[in-house]
Amino acid sequence: MTVLDELREAVIDGQAKLAVAAATQGLEQGIPAEVLLHDGLIAAMREVGRLFEENEIYVPEMLVAARAMNATVAVLKPRLIEHAVQSSGTVAIGTVQGDLHDIGKNLVAMMLEGSGFEVVDLGTDVPPERFVEAIRAGADVVAMSALLTTTMTSMQDVVEAITAAGLRDQVRIIAGGAPITAKYAARIGADGYAPDASKAVRKVRELLTV
Amino acid sequence: MTMPSAARTARCTSRERTELALRHVEADRVPLDLGGGPVTGIHVGSLYRLRQALGLDEPGTPVKVIEPFQMLGEVAPDLIDALGVDVVGVGLPTNFFGFANEDWKPWTTFDGTPVLVPGGFNTDTSEDGLLMYPQGDTTAPPSARMPRRGFYFDALKRQQPIDDEDLKVEDNLEEFGPITEAELAHVKGEVQRLLPSGKAILGNFGGTGFGDVAFVPGMSLKHPTGIRDIEEWYVSLSLRPGYIYELFDRQCDIGLQNLARIHAEIGDSVTAVLVTGTDFGGQLNSLISPRTYRNLFMPFHARVNDWIHSHTRWKTFIHSCGSIRRLLDDIVEAGFDALNPVQTSAAGMDPSALKQEYGDRITFWGGGIDTQSVLPFGTPAEVRDMVRDRMRVFGRGGGFVFNTVHNVQAGVPVENLLALYQAVNEFRDYPLG
Repeated sequence: MTVLDELREAVIDGQAKLAVAAATQGLEQGIPAEVLLHDGLIAAMREVGRLFEENEIYVPEMLVAARAMNATVAVLKPRLIEHAVQSSGTVAIGTVQGDLHDIGKNLVAMMLEGSGFEVVDLGTDVPPERFVEAIRAGADVVAMSALLTTTMTSMQDVVEAITAAGLRDQVRIIAGGAPITAKYAARIGADGYAPDASKAVRKVRELLTV
Repeated sequence: MTMPSAARTARCTSRERTELALRHVEADRVPLDLGGGPVTGIHVGSLYRLRQALGLDEPGTPVKVIEPFQMLGEVAPDLIDALGVDVVGVGLPTNFFGFANEDWKPWTTFDGTPVLVPGGFNTDTSEDGLLMYPQGDTTAPPSARMPRRGFYFDALKRQQPIDDEDLKVEDNLEEFGPITEAELAHVKGEVQRLLPSGKAILGNFGGTGFGDVAFVPGMSLKHPTGIRDIEEWYVSLSLRPGYIYELFDRQCDIGLQNLARIHAEIGDSVTAVLVTGTDFGGQLNSLISPRTYRNLFMPFHARVNDWIHSHTRWKTFIHSCGSIRRLLDDIVEAGFDALNPVQTSAAGMDPSALKQEYGDRITFWGGGIDTQSVLPFGTPAEVRDMVRDRMRVFGRGGGFVFNTVHNVQAGVPVENLLALYQAVNEFRDYPLG
């Protein structure tokens, strides 16, 4: 088994220590960080997404895999920066104002990061202006999350704030969370909707054509 | 405003009506629950507007917050009569935050609703919103927060660093102890107070909700130890199954001892007990695999249900949000009598299919109206249509206690609430239309 195989398997199984060890070993063997990212982590996360969609794994297993991936990204990141490897794009992600629920949002953030995107996590209870600031700071995509029927309406405020700031044309906006539907996302003027973390990654890729 | 048939002469008492439904027999009409438990209630803001619209209160009259975590309001006897509610609840004297519902004091919610809160409801305002303290003790670290302009509290993360070598199940058991004499006396007193009403009583005694993430953070504890972060908890189901099993096993022993003591005091005076409120479903699928349910949860659900069924006449009630179709065969096999909230907006939770497949084996205590889209965002006509449809689908042959899908949330238009309960009373009579 090659070190890349080991890395992929460790991430899929959620073995953070083994994944970090495999990535470290790979770097020592002279495998470029970019290759470990693309052929190791991103490939593993695609498989994790497939297993999730096919009901082979569920939320706990996906969280564990995402954490393993996250720990590995931390090892690879300095090398990627050193070699000026371009990320696939920057995503500013947050739970909208009034809402403190973040497990789904965190999972999407981890999956995006493991898929080669730069992620700016704005946290929870994020006011519209902070999404606007994140776009000014270079975000290509805004990803909004809400769990409650009382807070999903804040998503529209975010879209309106971005439009009012004159930034609507330079950013893609996606929405997700339990009460959100594709129809709702379209109605508030978002560019896309994703029902789960795996599909969120796919949607971001699609919107940025990467 | 009066409800169409809420006051109509009935052939059954509320208790008889509910017990017949639980035995899958059509009574005189479909029983209605509002406020019987912490998952079948109504947010204080929506409650205030409903009471005003029904003319039950003068403008500005505060309503009591009887469950401060979800900010549920008191469904008082006058509202019970006005709507024809059949179920009332009995619980322990302290709430999610560990203080008692007593020493009421006035307070105003962010949306301006005048309310009364318990004396232990001591909050501080921070730039992030309102901070709530365990047991009302403001010298302890806060355990929950309501965002600015928010409607509910959420647990604050108070996770201590976890060293797997040192992790002991006792760390996660602090909140599960033997019921006290004072708690038993409270339960007995409440049951005696409520019995003459002829209502069905739902027991909310706690202690048997294995891994309920509403409780995992330990919001009533001043310095919780063990696994308290919700994400870490989910991860632990995969990484630390031995720990979780042992924890549940110990919790189950304590819970069954407490149920035995409660039963010795109150006998069969309660109709059903809320055994567990752990959410197993998300919008699209179960959160955990059927295998995880079978290995970690089902053994303890079965133990509790078996004990209750062999020692009492109580029926058992499970609450789980979300899409749980993949787990339902096992949930039914674990011996539950009633399922709540029947989240019909989640994947695989189609009312007709559920009734057809499970209707003779489990009572649907919920599913009456969708609270994610129709109730908050639909028209009164859409609300009415859905209620009529749900009565026909779920009510056939009994096995249905009408309840909204989970608590009525904040921000529901009062026209929709009026349409909801008018429709309930228009369409609840057997034979169903």
